[in-house]
Amino acid sequence: MKAFVRPAPLVGLAIAGWLLVVVATGSGYEQRLMALAASSALMAIGYQLVFGQVGALSLAQGACFAIGAYAAGILGGRLGWPIWLELPAAILLPALLAAVAHGPVRRLDGHYFALATLGLAVLVRLVAVDAQGLTGGANGLIGVPPLPVGWLGLSRGAGTMLAGWTLAGIGAGLALWLKRGGNGPTLALVRDDPALARASGLDPGRIRTQGFVLAAGFAGAGGALQAHVLGLVSPDVAEFSVMVGCLAMVVIGGRGSVAGGVLGALLIGHLPEWLRPLGSSYRIAYGLGLFVCLLVAPAGLVGSLERFWPRRSMPAPLAVTTSLPRPDAVLRVDGIGKSYGGIAVLHGISLELRPGEIVGLIGPNGSGKTTLINLVGGQDRPDRGRITLGTARLDGLSADRIARAGIARSFQSVAVPDAMMPTDLVMAALAAREGRAGFGHALAIASLRGEAAALLRRVGVDSDCPLEGGSVRLVDIARALALDPAVLLLDEPAAGLDPAERDRLGTLLRALATEGRALLVVEHDMVFLMGLADRIAVLLDGRIARAGTADEVRADPRVRAAYLGEPSA
Amino acid sequence: MSLAQLLLNGLALGSAYALVALGFVLVLNATGSINFAQGDMVMLGGYVAIALARLLDLSGLAVLPLVTLAMAGFGLLFSMLAWRPFRRRPPISGLLATVALGLTLQEAMNALEGAAPQAGPTLIGTGEIHLGPLGLSRASLGILVACLVLGSAQGWLLGRTQFGRRLRASAQDPVTARALGLPVDRLIATSFALAAALAGAVGLLLSGPYFVTPTSGNDLILRAYVAVTIGGWGSLKGAVVGALLIALFESVVAGYASSVVATASLYGLVLVLLAVRPAGLFPEPFGRRA
Repeated sequence: MKAFVRPAPLVGLAIAGWLLVVVATGSGYEQRLMALAASSALMAIGYQLVFGQVGALSLAQGACFAIGAYAAGILGGRLGWPIWLELPAAILLPALLAAVAHGPVRRLDGHYFALATLGLAVLVRLVAVDAQGLTGGANGLIGVPPLPVGWLGLSRGAGTMLAGWTLAGIGAGLALWLKRGGNGPTLALVRDDPALARASGLDPGRIRTQGFVLAAGFAGAGGALQAHVLGLVSPDVAEFSVMVGCLAMVVIGGRGSVAGGVLGALLIGHLPEWLRPLGSSYRIAYGLGLFVCLLVAPAGLVGSLERFWPRRSMPAPLAVTTSLPRPDAVLRVDGIGKSYGGIAVLHGISLELRPGEIVGLIGPNGSGKTTLINLVGGQDRPDRGRITLGTARLDGLSADRIARAGIARSFQSVAVPDAMMPTDLVMAALAAREGRAGFGHALAIASLRGEAAALLRRVGVDSDCPLEGGSVRLVDIARALALDPAVLLLDEPAAGLDPAERDRLGTLLRALATEGRALLVVEHDMVFLMGLADRIAVLLDGRIARAGTADEVRADPRVRAAYLGEPSA
Repeated sequence: MSLAQLLLNGLALGSAYALVALGFVLVLNATGSINFAQGDMVMLGGYVAIALARLLDLSGLAVLPLVTLAMAGFGLLFSMLAWRPFRRRPPISGLLATVALGLTLQEAMNALEGAAPQAGPTLIGTGEIHLGPLGLSRASLGILVACLVLGSAQGWLLGRTQFGRRLRASAQDPVTARALGLPVDRLIATSFALAAALAGAVGLLLSGPYFVTPTSGNDLILRAYVAVTIGGWGSLKGAVVGALLIALFESVVAGYASSVVATASLYGLVLVLLAVRPAGLFPEPFGRRA
């Protein structure tokens, strides 16, 4: 029974009740309003996938809605296609366009992505208003046939409304199915920290493509439904206000939540009607109402409602056996160099890491240690040189492919996204290992949780404790280990740990090397590193000044000069 | 029209867009968040200028300081509503708050003044100035001069003064800036006031030659957003170049072909530009802000 107290089923029940009341009272106006709300709900549900789940500010959702409406107007109205042929076309057309358009803009982030999608929206609007022959221009299209609902035995208005909400219900179910299971943490990491997601082996570009294309399909269905309800297509459907309305729906309803998108669509659809008693000033109240919603319900309507419910109980973690270590492979860094804005940071670094070996990397601030790790981990591209793991060449590959190929890294400063628990972060990386994480790819959440808990235990973190101090860095190491890497790059893992934690970390790193993993450890703490590393490389001004055992390095006059300020003889 | 004349017209139009974009960038650089009501503030500034000129029977130039002062006050009020409550929330909430307030502003002006376009006072009289074969209206000249003066003043303020350094520091890392004793909240409120004052000046300048309607801010903010993004998020130079590029299309391409071709080719170019330079024409040197 408990499952029915979740927002989605509850909102579903409430809407079903509402629809029954509207059918019973038989108000044609309200039926039409509800049918239109169903079309917006489809657009908003889809937008939750790209904006709510993946966090990409797409401004093309309104345009996709318009394409759906015009598809219905042209194919269903002018060409007389039957609904079972026309509706799939209205869904596929915007989805196809989104898939094609996303290719060139795949690399774009944040507002550059938003602008690219805005550009698409402007071009769609231009076609709607100016391609007279195709879209009817400013006159739009008339004669879109009503939905064939006569066999229901209800009035046309009631039948259309129920058909619309059936469509919206199917859409909601599909959206819930797409983001089910272990995809939650994966999508949250892609949304909140794309760089960390990439380092964890996830490909934010691919997941965003999926979200963008799916969202376009949902919008197309919504647009087609609207055209059938209205019986016409007006070029207003391509105006930017549709997009702003869609944004308002998902934010007011609750970002990321399917039920929130539906609630937002109902609210925005009815607000003008409910405010009508205010007379001509109702539009001012509409703007203010939006503002007040944003002010008082920051997590949206669903977020506000959820505060009254107990937290969802998580499935119990399954006990798991640790997976087998990866095949041994030697990491070879061969003459890589990097300059930023004409200033050379690394000059031809060569380095070899053999399985089971711990190599320490030391050097003063600004000597290029983190840059080297960034180049090997794929966070940045080397200007020259090659990087190979076993026989696979890795330089120039994206960070997520490098991570999945077996090179994982931790970060010097990590900020675990606010809403994520340590388990979630590790689960996201575990999901990435399979290489297919994303929408609709079901993951066994119980076994993922089990594996994540085991990894966190291994680094010595309690998975249910809030993060503080140095433990964030340990969680980051657990995240890197989730990829089961052959090579582990650690950027100052011991910083911020107390002596006891430091000892435990040393033991852990030793154990990891014994499993056959190669470790490259950047560290300022010489004492920690001297006791741990098999070999130490010293980076001075972008060159490896010395590599050897701890004693050899310690005896080198240049190292002493750089570290202890002694004049080099 | 000759190409030179079209270019001159484009320059004047682009200066107007650049001034809107500069206000947008000012708030962006101070808060890292987006003020989608900047265009509506320009619209409000236009109506304030019309009301003051009518009430006090003054010329545009005399009204200018009053408009900027009144709008600066409005900017403070706006920052209390649209920024303060949302500063610890995801950037998208603040962005939508500015959209909602802008919408409210539009509807309020619609209720007060009606939807019909109104003409405001001009800054330095009316009529055309002839430079050989080229003509330039006095209103456009005013916009050009104002763009030069206000644009370089803003560049100086942000780049060369202690205030500007503090502003940029507090936007980049508010926590550290606060720890260093910078009055972050006051700095940000000030930047909203400055942006609104700038919007007031632009509103006055545009109300003469281009008229004001309650929705005239929509087109302006759209162009400012495009200009700022293709220029490079947060870059002053980029915003001006982006604005001039847009105006070039609207003037020259529209002059030779049609406005439809101009819009289509402009946004086509924007898409190509983003594919080639994914961080704009003048990418920010430091990490990107949301």
